[in-house]
Amino acid sequence: MWWYVGKRLLQTIPVILGATLLIYAMVFLMPGDPIKALFGDKPVNETAVQQLREQYNLNDPFLLQWLKFLQGAVTGDFGQSYTGRPVSEVVANAFPVTIKLAVMALIIEMLLGVTAGTIAGMRKGKLFDSTMLVTSLLVIAVPIFVFAFMAQLVFGVKLNWVSPTVGGDASFQRLILPAIVLGLVSFAYILRLTRTSVAENLALDHVRTARAKGLSDGRVTRVHVLRNSLIPVVTFLGADLGGLMAGAVVTEGIFNIPGVGNLAFQAVQRGETPTVVAVITILVLVYVATSLIVDLIYALLDPRIRYA
Amino acid sequence: MPENTRPGQQRYVAPLEETPLQEVDQLDTSAPPTSLWKDAWRQLRRNPMFIASAILLTFLVIVIAFPGFFTDEPPRKCVLARSYGPAESGHLFGFDRQGCDVFSRTLYGARASVAVGVITTSLIVLIGTIAGAFAGFYGKLVDTVISRTADIFFAIPLLLAAIVILQVVTNRFPDRGFWGGVSAVVGALALFGWPQITRIMRGSVLEVKNLEFVDAARAIGATPRRNLFRHIIPNAIAPVIVTATVSLGIIIVAEATLSFLGIGLPKSVVSWGNDISAATILVRSGDHIQVMLIPAVALMLTVLSFILLGDAVKDALDPKARKR
Repeated sequence: MWWYVGKRLLQTIPVILGATLLIYAMVFLMPGDPIKALFGDKPVNETAVQQLREQYNLNDPFLLQWLKFLQGAVTGDFGQSYTGRPVSEVVANAFPVTIKLAVMALIIEMLLGVTAGTIAGMRKGKLFDSTMLVTSLLVIAVPIFVFAFMAQLVFGVKLNWVSPTVGGDASFQRLILPAIVLGLVSFAYILRLTRTSVAENLALDHVRTARAKGLSDGRVTRVHVLRNSLIPVVTFLGADLGGLMAGAVVTEGIFNIPGVGNLAFQAVQRGETPTVVAVITILVLVYVATSLIVDLIYALLDPRIRYA
Repeated sequence: MPENTRPGQQRYVAPLEETPLQEVDQLDTSAPPTSLWKDAWRQLRRNPMFIASAILLTFLVIVIAFPGFFTDEPPRKCVLARSYGPAESGHLFGFDRQGCDVFSRTLYGARASVAVGVITTSLIVLIGTIAGAFAGFYGKLVDTVISRTADIFFAIPLLLAAIVILQVVTNRFPDRGFWGGVSAVVGALALFGWPQITRIMRGSVLEVKNLEFVDAARAIGATPRRNLFRHIIPNAIAPVIVTATVSLGIIIVAEATLSFLGIGLPKSVVSWGNDISAATILVRSGDHIQVMLIPAVALMLTVLSFILLGDAVKDALDPKARKR
């Protein structure tokens, strides 16, 4: 087990290094000189430009810039943004909001998706199953921003149940509507995954054996069907936390939530490269960490998987 | 508690002699042998989901080829005097903010959205199939290099990566026209979309390469390359086709999202994404909501058809999930 954990940890190193290099290459291609842009309409002071370029390591070759970034990132120092604030401070302000939003979305989609998926899988072909299948297909087939605007209009403006936008006050009540919208697509995937998995597992021999032993329906479902059916769902959920945080770009924009999605999108538009690199790097780390955790949870759910 | 239950049991369990096992185990020897694809096609033709999505997609192809057949109104003829005008004869769904005909723009908008979906999917299937097949077939160093590269691209969130790339393109080439705009979106989505197909193909090849017919081909002297391209890939590609059909729909949705963020297709291109996002300006007030909903419904029906097609193909190719 520990040998496996060590091996998996080592495997993540090239992924993290490669991903940061790729991000760096991408933002390096961003056009325009961000330093000159700082002067706005005023005449450009060449000495000041040179000083600033030196300060942001912009005169170094590409690979050296990347190495200097890595050196700082290891200690949690992502450098300064072009407006002079430390990037780690900007990011630290935005991240808790997005984590709150993403975790709320994750819990909502998991509870609803697994429950509805299990019921649908056990009653395959019945009315509930068909309704849920159609609902999930509609959710996948409509762009998320259409749902966001419709939810805002119906629940925020017309019915006035919740505030249509979030703004500075990212409280639980205000985040609930954006979290539902954010989790909708993943809810549809979890529902479909659980449904297929439950339906497949119901037909397996060990479930028939459990039935034949005379176990109650509830115990057969919980212990013999659900436990095995949840393996693909757990894989999906693990990859999804990072996906939700990145997907929050649209939701945060529409509901005016001061999270990382909003931050990253505005930073890309302003050519604020240090912030872009920092946000994407952290999201990559979130993804790598969650996939590692998922691999370890496997062992708990499926006793057949043993790590040599 | 039902009758005939033994202690500790909650349901009746039939004794062995009452179970008609012999009938179940009987083999049907009269059926002629068929190939996987022939069998799948026979299965598909009887699936109502497949027929429904095939009809919708045929209609879509006709709309893309001859949009002028359904409307005389050019999509770029916009008269401000009729801004948000109601439906009238010849203008089925009324007019949008700029006074353009909503019905006409929705018909012509199919081209850009479907072009992005089809080209991106073809690209990622091509790259993913070859990379995945090589990784699974050759193993060792080839596998390590391909799989770790795929991991790197997979670890970066697709939407944010696409935003960064497309912002660069938008700043450098603001007037990139129809094909320029389509290729930028295709490039950004394909660059970060191929790892998924690669992983699926790799797993599938790993399964197929150990089957008997591959050994048989090798025994009669097939070279590894011939074995891979003639025997393994055709038999391992089924899961890729299923995933590709579904992701085609998802890519169309992604294009709309990128256009909504203002960095997808250029505003001059008539597309569902551009029209839906242009209509969102007024949506919060609840007025003229149909201007947003008409292209959204067209997009939804298209994506639905592709997802249903993928589901039908999956059922046809997977004998385990088949209903008898």
